[in-house]
Amino acid sequence: MKEAELHARLAASGLTGIGALDTSARDPFVTVEAGALVAALTFLRDDPECRMEMLHNVTAVERADAMEVVYHVCSLARHHTLTVKVRLPRPAGGTHDTWIPEVPSVAGVWAAADWHEREQWDLLGVRFTGHPDLRRILLPAEWIGHPLRKDYVYPGEHGGIPLELDAVPLYERAPGSPPPPARPARAAGTPLEQPPAPFSTRPLAAGGKTCEPGQGGGERGGAH
Amino acid sequence: MGLLNNTLPDVAPVKAIDGLVGWGRGSSIWPMTFGIACCAIEMMAVYAATFDLDRFGAGVPRATPRQSDLIIVPGTVNAKMAVRVKRLYDQMAEPRYVLAMGACVCGGGPYVKWGYNTVKGVHKIIPVDIFVPGCPPRPEALMDGILKLKEKLSREAVFARRAAAAAEMDGRYGHLGAAAPAGGARA
Amino acid sequence: MEALELYTADVQDDVWTEELKLNLGPQHPSTHGVLRVELKMDGEIITAARSDIGYLHRCAEKIGENVSYLQFTPYTDRMDYLAACNNELAWSLAVEKLLGVEAPERAQWLRVIACELNRIASHLIAFGTYGIDMGANTPFFYAFREREAIMALLERPAGSRMLYNYVRPGGVAHDIDERWLPDVLAFCDEFERRWAEYNQILSTNKIFIARTANVGVLPREMALAWGCTGPVLRGSGVRWDLRRDVPYLWPYGEVEFDVPVGEGTHGTLGDCWDRYWVRMREMIESVRIIRQACARVPSGDFMDKAMARAYKTPVKPPKGEAYMRCENPRGELGFYLVSEGGASPIRCRARGPSFCNLSVLEALLPGCMIADGVAIIGSLDIVLGEVDR
Repeated sequence: MKEAELHARLAASGLTGIGALDTSARDPFVTVEAGALVAALTFLRDDPECRMEMLHNVTAVERADAMEVVYHVCSLARHHTLTVKVRLPRPAGGTHDTWIPEVPSVAGVWAAADWHEREQWDLLGVRFTGHPDLRRILLPAEWIGHPLRKDYVYPGEHGGIPLELDAVPLYERAPGSPPPPARPARAAGTPLEQPPAPFSTRPLAAGGKTCEPGQGGGERGGAH
Repeated sequence: MGLLNNTLPDVAPVKAIDGLVGWGRGSSIWPMTFGIACCAIEMMAVYAATFDLDRFGAGVPRATPRQSDLIIVPGTVNAKMAVRVKRLYDQMAEPRYVLAMGACVCGGGPYVKWGYNTVKGVHKIIPVDIFVPGCPPRPEALMDGILKLKEKLSREAVFARRAAAAAEMDGRYGHLGAAAPAGGARA
Repeated sequence: MEALELYTADVQDDVWTEELKLNLGPQHPSTHGVLRVELKMDGEIITAARSDIGYLHRCAEKIGENVSYLQFTPYTDRMDYLAACNNELAWSLAVEKLLGVEAPERAQWLRVIACELNRIASHLIAFGTYGIDMGANTPFFYAFREREAIMALLERPAGSRMLYNYVRPGGVAHDIDERWLPDVLAFCDEFERRWAEYNQILSTNKIFIARTANVGVLPREMALAWGCTGPVLRGSGVRWDLRRDVPYLWPYGEVEFDVPVGEGTHGTLGDCWDRYWVRMREMIESVRIIRQACARVPSGDFMDKAMARAYKTPVKPPKGEAYMRCENPRGELGFYLVSEGGASPIRCRARGPSFCNLSVLEALLPGCMIADGVAIIGSLDIVLGEVDR
């Protein structure tokens, strides 16, 4: 069945909160309200014409005005797929530190949702209510922040482990010299600075040969 | 305590012992089976038939850090893994060596600019003896790195290393006083 | 008799004396990477298991939001680093879907050959390392010997032994030389001969069967509910393969190949041996596909001309989103791209097959012995680069 037929069947199921089918993007998707999500997905799984046995993917997308949670479900018996979205509007002034959108968990419908939802909580800070065990999965348990948010600030270190580049690369430091000082805090979203220049700025010893890319040379003679 | 504190004079017999021990150590470097990411597959290719690291004496990988001489760190180290890499290195007994394999552990690799939890080079956590760059380095490059380590071992002053390691352990556990590990840090 | 009665009076057989908490990994020769499983054990039997992943989390999705579409292709290589071309293919098809372009015919056939060669290479590692997990060291060396042949073949057009960056949005990166197709066919002939040998070494080995049959039985409904795909799903008897059922590259619709499924040959349907046997059979099916593809590679462009020109400046697809799934050696890799017209997507989500396949481990481990646990982890054939991204 095509997405239009699936959507028609879903809309005719008698559930409230089923939105329209949006075909403007490349992949058509159905928007449902958060309250109707579990019922809609259970219908898609159990209905004999839809038979969506597998939840393929759960993604959260942070847009400027909302957080969208996208479910890709597919049927092996009927060879069709459907994309279901839930839009969670951003409150005024909702930032990375203050805004944790909530949506019901579908871990009771497909067990696959368990880990997918934990990952979206970990990386984007979407809370899935009713999830059996919502904790971080990819980042360390004591990590602060949700990195895939657009206003995330990169940390300089975590638990004593430095996560920054050295200001002076290792091959330019005199042996035995102390490690370089810590760098100042950065603004939101800014990454590390460019890695240092690949070739050393040390002056060559007298008589030292340079080797430009494309030039053969060195003891072995010629490129590998 | 001259032997253990490197108050030995720098004369030919001592250098000969250094050379002999260095040759012995370099010819039987036992690495640890430790693979993190993509470079581990090239490391496995080096142990396998076509490249065969065993011809250089280094083909007896030990699964436990207690019995290994060399930790090859292949693959990106991130914040979660860094704690475990440090713990593995601490569990190794002297003499122990570290070979950083791959661009990620040499200086961050492709994850250097936008990686929020990757450590930009494993030398920030453990002291590295040999860096082998590449993404992944060819098996020949890893073998070259191990041969360079063998060369480095043949030049090493055995007793000075022993004394330095002992001093480091004293620095770590000296504050424990009577509760220091039995037999002293030199055990 | 009185003394004996006193002695045996209060013996209770069901007293549970000690629970052992054992940590498997992240440094372990049999966890196929940096996977940590916390085990609670009653003697040799596992009573509860909890997987702990994230030791190889390399921020791929954040990187995808900040680099251009062509610059991200090498990062997809590094997710499932054993099947690099297949990852690149999924990414390239997702980007092509967003852009509305299609690769030329020659590129499509070259993609098929590269991806199937990579599938053989990936399953060879599964075969070799599974042998080591079971205590058989020899298959590892044979597997890597074959892998060297494949890597030498793929190094010629791609330039790299393992992380190829060969399949790109719009086509493939470089053309092949004239001797490449005959050499691939020669490899196929040699490989078929040796496959029979590997079967003798491992598949029909009594000890291997004793260790893998009836171990880690994954029922069909459980596999579907947990989102398992690929050989893990096919080992449980579900004949589903995206190459045949939803051909994402039209050449897959033009070649003939079977989709092997587990049949409970040596034990229950869906045990470790079935999953392993599906992989072995898939290697031969890949050889069939490669032979047919080599005969059909036409002359022509290897990269869509408009895309080749467009790559001089960062490509900016129109607003939209695309979800593309491909059949990787480990299962179905899905890429969900959301574009708002910029040079990078605003969301680049990779659905790794190993992530979903691994989630079923916590349900499979309890009740089996620790050695069986190692067999189960090996039969799921995970790659942590894909689990953690």
